[in-house]
Amino acid sequence: MTRPVHHTILPTVATDGVTCACAACGHRLGPVSDPWKAGAIRRDVPLALAGGAAYDTGHGGVLLRHFICPGCATLLDTETATDQDAPLDDRLGSA
Amino acid sequence: MDPMTFSIIRHRLFRIVDEAVITLKHVSGSAITNEGHDLMVSLYRADGTLLMGGVGFLHHLTSAAEACKAIIRRFKGQIGEGDIYLLNDPYTAALHTSDIYLVAPIHHQGRLVAWSACFVHVTDIGAMNPGGFAPQAVDIYSEGFSSPGLKLVDRGEMRQDILDTILNMVRSPEMVALDLRSMIACCNVARDRMGALIDKYTAPVVDAACAALIEQSEALLRARLRSLPDGQWQSRQYLDVQGDTARVLLTMTKTDDRLIFDFTGSDPQSRHSINCTKWAALGGLFAPLFPLLCYDITWNEGVIRPVEMIAPEGSIVNCTRPAPVSVATVGAIQSVNNAACTTIGKMLAASEHYRDQATAVWHANHFAIFKFGANQRGGYSIGILTETFAGAGGARSFADGVDIGGEIPNPISRMANVETVEGAFPIRYLFRRRAIDSGGPGQYRGGTGGEMAIVQHRAPAGGIDYVISGKGARHPMSEGLAGGYPGAPNSYVWVHAEDNAPAPTAPDRLEAITGRPERVSWGVYPLRGQDALYVRWNGGGGYGDPITRNPVAVADDVRGGVVSLEAAQQIYGVALSGDGAVDAAETDRLRAAIRSARLAPQEVAQ
Repeated sequence: MTRPVHHTILPTVATDGVTCACAACGHRLGPVSDPWKAGAIRRDVPLALAGGAAYDTGHGGVLLRHFICPGCATLLDTETATDQDAPLDDRLGSA
Repeated sequence: MDPMTFSIIRHRLFRIVDEAVITLKHVSGSAITNEGHDLMVSLYRADGTLLMGGVGFLHHLTSAAEACKAIIRRFKGQIGEGDIYLLNDPYTAALHTSDIYLVAPIHHQGRLVAWSACFVHVTDIGAMNPGGFAPQAVDIYSEGFSSPGLKLVDRGEMRQDILDTILNMVRSPEMVALDLRSMIACCNVARDRMGALIDKYTAPVVDAACAALIEQSEALLRARLRSLPDGQWQSRQYLDVQGDTARVLLTMTKTDDRLIFDFTGSDPQSRHSINCTKWAALGGLFAPLFPLLCYDITWNEGVIRPVEMIAPEGSIVNCTRPAPVSVATVGAIQSVNNAACTTIGKMLAASEHYRDQATAVWHANHFAIFKFGANQRGGYSIGILTETFAGAGGARSFADGVDIGGEIPNPISRMANVETVEGAFPIRYLFRRRAIDSGGPGQYRGGTGGEMAIVQHRAPAGGIDYVISGKGARHPMSEGLAGGYPGAPNSYVWVHAEDNAPAPTAPDRLEAITGRPERVSWGVYPLRGQDALYVRWNGGGGYGDPITRNPVAVADDVRGGVVSLEAAQQIYGVALSGDGAVDAAETDRLRAAIRSARLAPQEVAQ
């Protein structure tokens, strides 16, 4: 990514107004017109396997989604979800 | 107006609210008010708009404004000096029936100049379940006494017929009477102190200062919003009740100096009493907005003006009568709190200037357990387990969340000490402490929640019963930020003792309590014999990628008993040697392996 980074959608996801990129390594995640998560690696981890016994509720169907930078493997964002739910869409700019 | 006079009047208004809160607490005798600080006091303009928001549960500030306006409409031409009005109908303005508003006009030389409003969660409201939260309710009609507005005090005189009617409909009427009298005292103090303020500075000057204060707040918030990036941020919450899952979806859009909170996409209203009304949802989104965006701005009508809410009618955040709402404050309203905290946190984090103000979600799920039954003094007690107010701090961009550190919607919440509870109920605590692995992992860890277990102790009736409105045992609700994990979910376990089992001695964790565990979360249950009730409440959300956390901090957490070895390795990628010190080489290897696994092609299930 050659343009200077001015803003961040999240602290982990930067944008220059044209593209989104990993704030840590600059890996391009896609144009700002698209959800940045489309350019990230998505891992849908069953909550019980998220790590540690505290997340094992004994109930299935709950996911802890991981969105990962394909360039440096930084965990850019997480969200709790079920498999029917679309990823949350965070973006900069006026509606 | 000269700035000195303006500043003095502003601070006097703060102090009036503070003194009214102190009065309320001094007169009240309930743990939920005195220990949990489930209360609110605020001042309002003559037209009912918010003038000076107080402390306590902040989602009441805007709802009580609507209560003032409802009373003004209903009693137009009949509002007298010394009157005090009661309102607790959720479809008029209140959040749920057990949070009773007392709304009092403040006159000066015969002219209405302001209002005070306060609430407490009264000991009982006559709902089908004791304590006000009614998980078994199917509609508003089964959630107890509900009034869209009545005159409780007429020109300084208690309307005894009204009071007696209310007390005739509730359990523990002596405690409910004390609840009401504590609020009356609170209103009286607010009225007297406002009168003294106006006596000193004159009504026109105080009125001008109040108008200027609202203009100032609006200007300051709009300026702050203009300094933040435009954009949209989303959040989603799940409420799980008896196998039904309801979603609250929030899209917050910030454009120039305006904020829109749009709940389009949230689920339809539920058959369970977790719904909330429109006024409650509005209050719910303001509860985190006041402290996160207006920490240095007076909380009043000026803060409300730049904000718009869209809440589809018939949804879980704008339900229609007669949908049940008695669990709203710890149901849909709290989910609105959490969702708004997340979106505001994301917006703040998007700005380098404001990033240190951003936070992951704090304690996100009250478990609302009301104990009731014969007490050890020959009487009858109803009361909440105030641990639900103990909370947990969300992590920030520079620091961990505070362990058992309270909650965003109520800056003064806290829990009762164990002895207070054991003195009021025939129960005994087996343990109460920070819960391991409850704080959301991250570069900065969410504050831990807690865990506790209780048994009955020499109860004259062999035990007590409890009403539990427990959510969040399936879905985490305290979302992380910027790669941080959510806090661990809640857990509610009824441990059935074996027949003829001796009384538990000193188990220090759930696994050490002998008996058959059963998950419980919704309804009425007994606590009898040698059975135990175990509760774990959620920690705060984490901030940032857990594998970037300082390994020494992880080692400290393990040593302190708040992070397990398992979580240290699996989530944080930190290896410890036998003496608990960081094994740097193995930690590097673990973290490299986690990164490789993140980038590895995903296996597709066949």
